[in-house]
Amino acid sequence: MLQRYWFGDVDEEGCRPAGTDPAALAERATTLRTGMDSFVPIDWETARDCGAVRTREEYVGLLRSVCTALARKKIAQSYQGRDVELLQMVRMLDELDNVINLLQERAAEWYQVTNPSFSRKYRSLPAKKMLGIIRKGARGGLSDVADEIDRLAGTRSRLMRAVSARADEVMPNTSALIGGLVAARLLSRAGGLPTLAKMPGSTIQVIGSERALFSHLRGGTPPPKHGIIFQHRRVHNAPRPVRGRVARVLAAKLAIAARLDYYRGEAVPEFLKDAQARIDEAGVEA
Amino acid sequence: MMKWLGNVLVSAGEGGVYGERTLEGYRVWDPYRSKLAALYTLGGGVELTPEMRVLYLGAANGTTVSHVADYVETVYAVEFAPRPMQDLLEVARRRRNIVPIMADASRPEEYAPFMEAVDLLYQDVAQPNQVEIAERNLPFLKPGGHLILMLKTRSVDVRRDPAEVLAGARAGLERYLDVVDVRWLDPYHHDHAAIVCTLRE
Repeated sequence: MLQRYWFGDVDEEGCRPAGTDPAALAERATTLRTGMDSFVPIDWETARDCGAVRTREEYVGLLRSVCTALARKKIAQSYQGRDVELLQMVRMLDELDNVINLLQERAAEWYQVTNPSFSRKYRSLPAKKMLGIIRKGARGGLSDVADEIDRLAGTRSRLMRAVSARADEVMPNTSALIGGLVAARLLSRAGGLPTLAKMPGSTIQVIGSERALFSHLRGGTPPPKHGIIFQHRRVHNAPRPVRGRVARVLAAKLAIAARLDYYRGEAVPEFLKDAQARIDEAGVEA
Repeated sequence: MMKWLGNVLVSAGEGGVYGERTLEGYRVWDPYRSKLAALYTLGGGVELTPEMRVLYLGAANGTTVSHVADYVETVYAVEFAPRPMQDLLEVARRRRNIVPIMADASRPEEYAPFMEAVDLLYQDVAQPNQVEIAERNLPFLKPGGHLILMLKTRSVDVRRDPAEVLAGARAGLERYLDVVDVRWLDPYHHDHAAIVCTLRE
């Protein structure tokens, strides 16, 4: 019975070594197909008798070089996809949001202590305006911090535009349905375009509401209607009674869109037109 | 042949792999970080010996792998995800008895052309079909060799009671193997059980 091993082919008639160049051996190894039923584990002495190596040390050494070369190649391949960097970009964006919010809140608290008569009440001061006031009014450490927050906010908006643009490019159909930013967040939660493309609509519908989902599965609480797709205006602007339906229909169409993005890689206008119409229809109260 | 300093499990080898503490020149093997260390600390497991060959499924960043490699002759370390594989390659570069394999543990035919028979099959993968994965890898195990399966009951099914999941896994393994020891890894790891088996001769 022929056994095809990394160092060569072995059968009853003997052994044909495949050389000792790690790169060539790695290349050859990718073509080997083994059936587990007929597989016989390697006896390293066979490799020695074959002339591939002289000692056990050499055997393990050569095998390690081959496997390392193969692994490096596979890692490079898996990082090649355009979605891989987008994943990191959107995670950084969400982290920046967190950090900026925390810093802004802390700076506001600090500012209020230096100005006993200041209050945010009745003034509808969004964080951005508040930051402006602090930068004008504060001195020393606090104004340094405020400047820094402002710079971070600038970085954040530039990154947001980059994420949006990259999402339009990597996942044109999904982005067309829910916008680049939410599409990128879906991608980030799924862990990559291949994974997202294999998800059923029902999973996509509740990505981001894992807490509610598992509490539902464990014991009788109502199921979540939507996860991060809630961030899209179509879902959060929908009237309450039909919100679940909109989320469900949207998620079903997103599942198809993700598959088109992954397997076709380009926008499909016919699909998008139908999908948009169907989702709009779901949002109309009967 | 495990090395203990008092009641602290350690291994002999080049330190600084992941910022581990050292004691009298030995690397401390922390049961809170490594499930295998937890198993030994709780008095279970299979003694690692210098002539052993090990197949390690779910090698991740190579933290536990590095300790196993300190004890045995050769470790075949299988990991599927690219990011941890980057770290594993670095560990394997510095430890000459680790063979790093980037492959899916549930598809043993992918790495069979590299495999010799091993004395110990160690599996720590977060997959729902953990028992099936172990079964598929049994052709690599010598008769009389050991399987240590770290069962993550939460990965099998979050809705089922961990004890039930363990009973199911045990029944599955008993079709091919003799179960020698089963224990929970509390207080070090929750809802994780270690199942030690021997392959019938």
